[in-house]
Amino acid sequence: MTNRRARALLVAALVGALVVSATVAVPSADARPAHEIPVSTMPEADLSTPSAPDWSRVPAADVPLASAPSGVPNAGDTSIDRVHVQAARSGEQFHVRLQWSDPTRNVTAGSPRAFPDAAAIQFPVDTSSRPPIAMGGRDNRVNVWYWAGNGATQELLAGGAGSTTTFQSPTVDANATYTNGTWTVVYTRDVTGASENRTTLDDDDRLDVAVAVWNGGNGERAGRKAVSEWHYFPTGEGAEGAPYQTLLWTVAGVAIVAVIGVTAFGVLRTHGGDGGGS
Amino acid sequence: MSTQDDTNINVADGVDHQVAMVMDLNKCIGCQTCTIACKDLWTEGGGTDYMYWNNVETKPGEGYPRGWEESGGGWTDDGSERVAGEIPSREDYGRPWEFNHSEIMYEGSDEPLRPREGAEWGPNWDEDQGAGEYPNSYYFYLPRICNHCTHPSCVEACPRQALYKREEDGIVLVDQERCRGYRYCVEGCPYKKVYYNTVSKKSEKCIFCYPRLEGEGPDGETYAPACAEECPPQLRLVGFLDDEDGPIYKLVEEYEVALPLHPEFRTQPNVYYIPPYAPGQHTEDGESVDVDRIPRGYLRELFGDGVDQALNTIERERQRARQGDDSELMELLQHKNPAKQYRLGVFDDD
Ligand code: SF4
Ligand code: SF4
Repeated sequence: MTNRRARALLVAALVGALVVSATVAVPSADARPAHEIPVSTMPEADLSTPSAPDWSRVPAADVPLASAPSGVPNAGDTSIDRVHVQAARSGEQFHVRLQWSDPTRNVTAGSPRAFPDAAAIQFPVDTSSRPPIAMGGRDNRVNVWYWAGNGATQELLAGGAGSTTTFQSPTVDANATYTNGTWTVVYTRDVTGASENRTTLDDDDRLDVAVAVWNGGNGERAGRKAVSEWHYFPTGEGAEGAPYQTLLWTVAGVAIVAVIGVTAFGVLRTHGGDGGGS
Repeated sequence: MSTQDDTNINVADGVDHQVAMVMDLNKCIGCQTCTIACKDLWTEGGGTDYMYWNNVETKPGEGYPRGWEESGGGWTDDGSERVAGEIPSREDYGRPWEFNHSEIMYEGSDEPLRPREGAEWGPNWDEDQGAGEYPNSYYFYLPRICNHCTHPSCVEACPRQALYKREEDGIVLVDQERCRGYRYCVEGCPYKKVYYNTVSKKSEKCIFCYPRLEGEGPDGETYAPACAEECPPQLRLVGFLDDEDGPIYKLVEEYEVALPLHPEFRTQPNVYYIPPYAPGQHTEDGESVDVDRIPRGYLRELFGDGVDQALNTIERERQRARQGDDSELMELLQHKNPAKQYRLGVFDDD
């Protein structure tokens, strides 16, 4: 092989490496089917608080929000348009972290005009079918994890708008922080905490999920809220989450190994040529 | 089922009978006994300090909460759609004031007794101020409770159906189990007679003292609402609008002298007022002249166009009584027999 050929090979390999690394570096959102929110399995991680460092290792999905259709006054006037969603299993616990920016921190309902910021996650009670997105339906109810800035965390059951009822003893914990204009809320529930009217979190390959956020400072409450479409957590496959994502990582890994190999080979050949006196 | 098929009484669908109250504004002395009776009974707990299910305001005046007449709510003119409303601010309701009692009582201060600070508005801030120029200034008192409306916009405003009209008597209540503190009822009521409890985080309102109506007290007796029973001049009649033998039916439906407040809100209130008929104006020299002291236009704003006919009817009947003729209307407006004033058991056997 001539020096020129070796150099060409090296350039080709570098370009290949760049392409591969670009693919890998793109946020995983683009590498997933639309509406999928990845779930990481991190047996030893501590993810129960919003600022736990381990959250930096959990991939996030950027979920768009829009005003929910509702009969309440000014229902179309909502102000939060996206929320970052992360999900992970650590040991026997299932954690979901929501993050969104809201320039005003509203944490009280203690005066006639004060409404707290709030967020909720909605799951089907029966995970085998997808309920109507607006608080479920009569035969197809939803389980809602509700957090509000005034400290209220509730577990709710709903079968259609206006039918929300509160569980007497919630099995969901929520922890929140507000820094630099951003709310971060972590919900935690035992994976095995299912019961009647409580969603089984690891039943099927997919767990449907939808998110809602209220900006209390904008008078948002009840049906006046910013909501997502139905998304899903790929909960099957046990440990490793989405098969599609695993496949992508495998492809990327193979590509990296190949690039390193080709590069090393090219460099070796180049040096060999010099030493061998062609 | 409604039993009112043979009358013209407009009782709401699904409601058997409708409680009602008539207040004669000509008798109110503004003593606030009704306000305190109500507060002692129902709104003494945490989160209710700013609430007056019964309040008495001076008219003309801002009222309580301040500016409620312009706060929106109710229905459009044809009654088909709700009108957007606002939740009054804490300041519009008025905050409780701190007084300098301890300085005066225990520290020997000779300051006058007064609020410490922040006393810039309160439920009766403009009491007795009224309007007009001496010697023709005027004002009157307007006691207000929830109107237990036939077409209540508070009920319609709630996305959870937490508010409802009781089937047996049309009393409008907030189901505390269903309420989630969204306050759409507060903004939806044009009279601002639903209040948000800042501690329980749920809405509350006048319950027409239904436990008293039902004889839930220790002696098992039936009583009219406390605001009515405690009123020194006994200006409130309590009963059912559809009790055709009772004074309320006669005053509202037959003589048409008891009028709802702000009928243009279209909620069809069931609290009715005998409008005030003040003496005419005076000249500087104290001569009486035939000019209304309380501008008729202002009374129309409050009670609708029916006020002209109502005042004419009252004037006509007064003349009759003065001339020694019998006037059933004057009897009704004067009698003091509590059995007639409070007719509560009439439908008990239904
Ligand atoms: S006065 Fe207001 S609170 Fe009372 S029934 Fe009417 S609309 Fe509802
Ligand atoms: S108790 Fe009677 S007289 Fe006194 S303010 Fe109330 S309604 Fe008027």
